Amino acid sequence: MRQPVDRYVDRLLRRRRPKPFAPTQDELAVMRTAIDLMGSAPEGHGPRPAFVEQLRDRLAEQERAEQGTEAAAPAWRTPARRRFLTAGALTAAGAAAGVGADRMVVIASGADQSGQPGQPGPQQQPAPAELTPTVGVWRDAAASADLAEGDVWPFDLGSVTGFLRRASGRVQAVSGICTHQGCRLDLAAARDKLSCPCHGATFTVAGVNLTHPRQSSGPLPALPRLPVREQGGVIQVYAPASSPSDQG
Amino acid sequence: MRAAWPDEAPTRLPGAAYPDWDAIYADNVGRIYRLMFAKVGNRPDAEDLTSQVFLTAFGPLRTTAGVGQVRAYLTATARTVLAEHWRRTLGHQVTEIDLETTDLEDYAGTAPADETANGPAQERATRILRALPERQRQILVLRFLRGYSIRQAATELGVSIANAKVLQHRALRAAAGLDKEQKDRAQKDRAQKEGEAS
Repeated sequence: MRQPVDRYVDRLLRRRRPKPFAPTQDELAVMRTAIDLMGSAPEGHGPRPAFVEQLRDRLAEQERAEQGTEAAAPAWRTPARRRFLTAGALTAAGAAAGVGADRMVVIASGADQSGQPGQPGPQQQPAPAELTPTVGVWRDAAASADLAEGDVWPFDLGSVTGFLRRASGRVQAVSGICTHQGCRLDLAAARDKLSCPCHGATFTVAGVNLTHPRQSSGPLPALPRLPVREQGGVIQVYAPASSPSDQG
Repeated sequence: MRAAWPDEAPTRLPGAAYPDWDAIYADNVGRIYRLMFAKVGNRPDAEDLTSQVFLTAFGPLRTTAGVGQVRAYLTATARTVLAEHWRRTLGHQVTEIDLETTDLEDYAGTAPADETANGPAQERATRILRALPERQRQILVLRFLRGYSIRQAATELGVSIANAKVLQHRALRAAAGLDKEQKDRAQKDRAQKEGEAS
């Protein structure tokens, strides 16, 4: 009779992801042995280049989202974890605020120059060679008139893509990249959720994961929120000044 | 691409250190993947877990400098990620990463053709197989190491498919140390051989 543990071993041998079941101690011992034996399979010798690239992109995306968020944080929310910011993130915030001084000055002024990141101060001191004064700019993503209350609007700035929405009068922006494997999300026809064409994950328009693909073992992280502001009839998203694709 | 982000530049790093996150990633993604593959035995899970390790370690690691520290941190993260994986899927710690004995140095990997590319895992497989009777060893080598289907393995061994399945089932149980009768017999054999040798 075929036991669940046989099916588990079988899936390993077929180079597939095994399915969970409730194993006994003996079955666990068999599974451990099978995993040890699989250890010398060719797939174990190294990751696929495509996977390495994909994960690198995801990490870059995460870094971009974090930096964008930290740089403009005072403009839209001040999470408690700002207290634990790394020196690097503080420098980024200072640089975005147009302060080209040494790090101590950046940290001090980064704390109260909150309102207007992206407006380079005219009287900056000459920047130390290793600091570049700006990492991003506010870029137009949509006209205010495009986004009615409750509506969702996709935008694509090249380096950053995502979705704007207006709820209770306020505009929010979330990244349009699936947190599973980095595919670009589509807006569902009903404009009420975002779906991933690659493995079928879905998110609310606020970025919360609704369904995740079978091959991901748990709920996906929420879509990163992007710093966004609305002024002069234009909705702007904080994004890298130039498209990263230009740089490779 | 990362060169466009200047925030890491002002940090002065000591000698044996990674210049930036990209270097950390490039040097360790293969090691973490090999480590994870050795612990789960399949590519999809190994890739997911590798992703989780780097996505988790990403934030805290930015200010950590030394190569040794970075690897230790990644290994510790991998241990947690693997434990969580087993807790969520099977409710048991099927395999573990022992921080005392796990060194990412061992998972450097080489050319894919090199059979010892995944050093520690390879050693474990060899040790398991050496302890088995010939027929059982053969079926496991064909199925696990050579990637034969059950039909191909049956043909190679000159038995029916049903027999090959039974043989594989018994061989795995024996390799897992569950075949008590066989273990006793092996012990007796060994004792006898040692007796003859002396």
